[in-house]
Amino acid sequence: MAVKVLILEDNPVARSFLCRVVRESFSDANTITEAGDLETARRHIRIAGGADGMHGVDPFRLILVDLELPDGTGLELLTELAQYPATKIVTTLYSDDEHLFPALQCGADGYLLKEDRFEVLVEELQKIVRGQPPLSPAIARRLLTHFRDGRGDGQAPDSGFMTLSGHTISRPVPIEKPLDHERLTPREVEVLTYLSKGFTIKEIASLMGIKWFTVNDHIKSIYKKLNVSSRAEAAVLASKQGLV
Amino acid sequence: MHRAALRKSGLGSGRRTEPAGADSSLFDLGADPPDAAAVLLGGGRLQVLMLLALVAGCLLLLLARQVASAVDVAAGKQTQWRAGAQGQVLLRTSADPALRALQGQVLQAVSSADGRRVEVDALLLQRSSRWQSDDNARPRQQAQHQALQALVDHEPTAPLRLHFAGGTQLDLPLSPRGWRGLGPLWWPLCALALALLLHGAAVAMATPTGRSRAYAVMCAAQAGGLVFVALGQVQGLLLPRALLAAELPLQAALDLATAAAALQVVAASAKASPAARRLGQAGVVVAAGAWLLFLLGGAAAPWWLLQGLLLGLGAAAVLVLGRILQREPDPFVALQRRLLLGGLVLGALISGAAALAPTWPAAGAELNAAVALLWHGSLAALLLVLPHVVRASPLLREMTLLAVMALLVLAAHLGLQATFQLPPPTTVMLALGASLALYAGARPSVMGLLQGNPALSTERMFDRLYRAARELQARPARAPRLMAQVLREMFEPLELLPQDSAPPRARVVGGGAELLVPLRDTATEAGADDAAQPPGAPAALRLRFAQRGRRLFTLEDARLADRVVDQLRRAAAFDAAVERGRGEERLRIAQDLHDDIGARLLTLMYQSTSPEMEDYLRHTLQDLKTLTRGLAASEHRLSDAAGEWKADLTQRLVAAQLTLGWSFSSDRDLVLSMAQWSALTRVLRELASNALAHARASRIDVQLSLHGPALLLTVADDGAGRAPEAWAHGLGLGGVRKRVKQLGGTVQWRELAPRGIVCEVRVPAFAAKA
Repeated sequence: MAVKVLILEDNPVARSFLCRVVRESFSDANTITEAGDLETARRHIRIAGGADGMHGVDPFRLILVDLELPDGTGLELLTELAQYPATKIVTTLYSDDEHLFPALQCGADGYLLKEDRFEVLVEELQKIVRGQPPLSPAIARRLLTHFRDGRGDGQAPDSGFMTLSGHTISRPVPIEKPLDHERLTPREVEVLTYLSKGFTIKEIASLMGIKWFTVNDHIKSIYKKLNVSSRAEAAVLASKQGLV
Repeated sequence: MHRAALRKSGLGSGRRTEPAGADSSLFDLGADPPDAAAVLLGGGRLQVLMLLALVAGCLLLLLARQVASAVDVAAGKQTQWRAGAQGQVLLRTSADPALRALQGQVLQAVSSADGRRVEVDALLLQRSSRWQSDDNARPRQQAQHQALQALVDHEPTAPLRLHFAGGTQLDLPLSPRGWRGLGPLWWPLCALALALLLHGAAVAMATPTGRSRAYAVMCAAQAGGLVFVALGQVQGLLLPRALLAAELPLQAALDLATAAAALQVVAASAKASPAARRLGQAGVVVAAGAWLLFLLGGAAAPWWLLQGLLLGLGAAAVLVLGRILQREPDPFVALQRRLLLGGLVLGALISGAAALAPTWPAAGAELNAAVALLWHGSLAALLLVLPHVVRASPLLREMTLLAVMALLVLAAHLGLQATFQLPPPTTVMLALGASLALYAGARPSVMGLLQGNPALSTERMFDRLYRAARELQARPARAPRLMAQVLREMFEPLELLPQDSAPPRARVVGGGAELLVPLRDTATEAGADDAAQPPGAPAALRLRFAQRGRRLFTLEDARLADRVVDQLRRAAAFDAAVERGRGEERLRIAQDLHDDIGARLLTLMYQSTSPEMEDYLRHTLQDLKTLTRGLAASEHRLSDAAGEWKADLTQRLVAAQLTLGWSFSSDRDLVLSMAQWSALTRVLRELASNALAHARASRIDVQLSLHGPALLLTVADDGAGRAPEAWAHGLGLGGVRKRVKQLGGTVQWRELAPRGIVCEVRVPAFAAKA
């Protein structure tokens, strides 16, 4: 059975390039659907069974979303496809965490940098589908601060003065989900710290004394936790706004 | 240690705690006036005060009536006597024509109709036996007065005969003094006495502690003393009967009570040590014992003993205050101590003047009167003023100084009158002039004593402010700490605490004890202004006890603090706004560059016809991304950048099947500027590309280290390159040289043995401050 792939990319040259990458990555046959803008992609998804992926209809199994689209960002599509049972990969020219991090929060399972060589892209794509997503040092750093401060994006406050008033930041705490889902385990924090320093997976495995696969499992789990925590936060915020 | 003591006593917490209830009287850390007045007006206290006023007033009126109705010789005719150089009584002036003819004559004796005769001398003119310092003369003085009174009592209606030297005799009828005979100072002195009494009662009722009750005792005693002074300046030859009766013991009792109570007020303070408390109690016992001694007449030199004891008790009080100050600097206590010391010195001077009086018979009477008036008058002024002078109100401080000046005028007037025998208007003018001169001269130093001089001179303050503003620009998150530092240097407070609630402007509270300075502009609370302020910053600062507890805060201090904080806030806000503007502009440029140009380069790259062109375009694209990333992000930490460089290099080398050797060491996590970060990123990329493209190596070793201010970067390969001096540097390596020169460093390539090339980049002044 052919694997259905959706590539959303507005630059036609880049789109055909990505098609070649996908074909080269997977030995089994696959049907590649190309979309040049957000609306076309949405139409294709509706035809294929809708954003929630109805059973019995053949859904897409792999979706490549470009972040720099003319009619809205790919983040919207990612958010719509949150429940879709496909591997969602963002492709982008930006490699900095400012742009990639929101994409990961919206549920991307990995990212590809368009500037990379063909061979590199093929390998990365295969790894993501296998469950070994990449994590650049910048993203790793961002993840560390994200999970350390709870939801607050960014820097630890440098008050430089004794605070007798204490913390007055009120944070929404979801009642249904237990907090473990949103916090990283110490091993995961260790992996992220090494990644932020620029170590490779192999080096991290040897430094931590664990298998290479285990490191990848940690990374996958971190991705999932990011997704879960972001969705939970969004849900709580939405319900809070509903109350207000 | 002081701080620890303050904190332990609970006064050092962040919240405002009132001082311990038992001690919060008008003496201690400013119970603000409204509280005391409110307490006073409440309850039946006002009625009690009015009742007291009524009773005391009636008593005084009765006394006045008694004195006015008593008979005296040649009363109402404005007769004045003076003492001669040999201790005789001379007639100075008189409105009575018969007496006027005898001006300048010496009065030798007075006799009654039935022939009883009393010899008189200058001692007759000395009204107060309490202030007669010559213990041998006092019995004679008292005997003269009593004999004269007995003479009059025996025959109240018959005229008295005055015997002058030279044989002249004059018969003068006896008549009641009348209200005019009470003397010009009677009513003012009685009013002052009444006011003093009521004031003491009011204080004791407003805050009913042991100390305020002792203060009330002092006020009552001195009120009595003032009444005695009033009695003493009644005109005529005869003394009022009340004065004759028991002046020395009664006045001694009043003065001893005042001194003992003063010591008790000071020693019973909560801040005094147990030794001081025992001293206070001992003082009371000593005073009581001395009084009993006087009563029984057993003392050898009673006047000296009395004065010595009074001054000694006063000195003890000053010592106790000094000991308290040593342990815990407190500007209110310091002020009280200064006032007490001043009073003590004045008391010693007055005692000295009284002691000298016997050596100067001509001025004896005037000195006697003057000394009594000065002593009780200045004590009364001190007592009235003491609880109020600790307020920050400049009005009351000026009133204090005016009171002091009035005293000086009085003293000078009396002194001049005594020494030069000038007519009153002249002496008053002279006295006024001299006192004004003294006041004008002494006022600055006195005000300086009370308020103290600011800790920082203008020049240093300006310098400090400027540096604080610069530092604020570099690190706006440190705003609260910087402001606290500047305020600390300006005022040198004993304590500086953060506080949650902020007044709209700087305020002096607690009568000058504390200064509240708001750190945030509460008017623009939600403004972008506060983006620079961290959430944990306090809303205000509370400064306590300026200049290490030596002086009080004034309204000028509050205004100055407001101005300083305002300026610093404005500097921070301005810099923040400028930075934000610049940041937004940079972001816009970066985004445009990246999106448009980056996309086009990418397309070109995809369409490139040869691998070299593809690599070249990729390289260009990466340089563009470095540039835009440097523009967009303002802060790059060295450790973060090193991690990214390592990951990047690893990826490239692994793709080319080379091994990476990476070593990074730094003695601190430096924040790189945009220029530094982009330069290093591109240098590294360039050197790695060069090695990858030309060296045909199997491994590349990169070493990056930052020690102190110097940065060292080496990129070594084990490839086939030789003789780097002979290389023609293309765009890539030329770019490396250019970037390194921009960083202010040097770069050189040299051969490695047995194979390979190493490139060494040294930047000696990479980090600005060590």
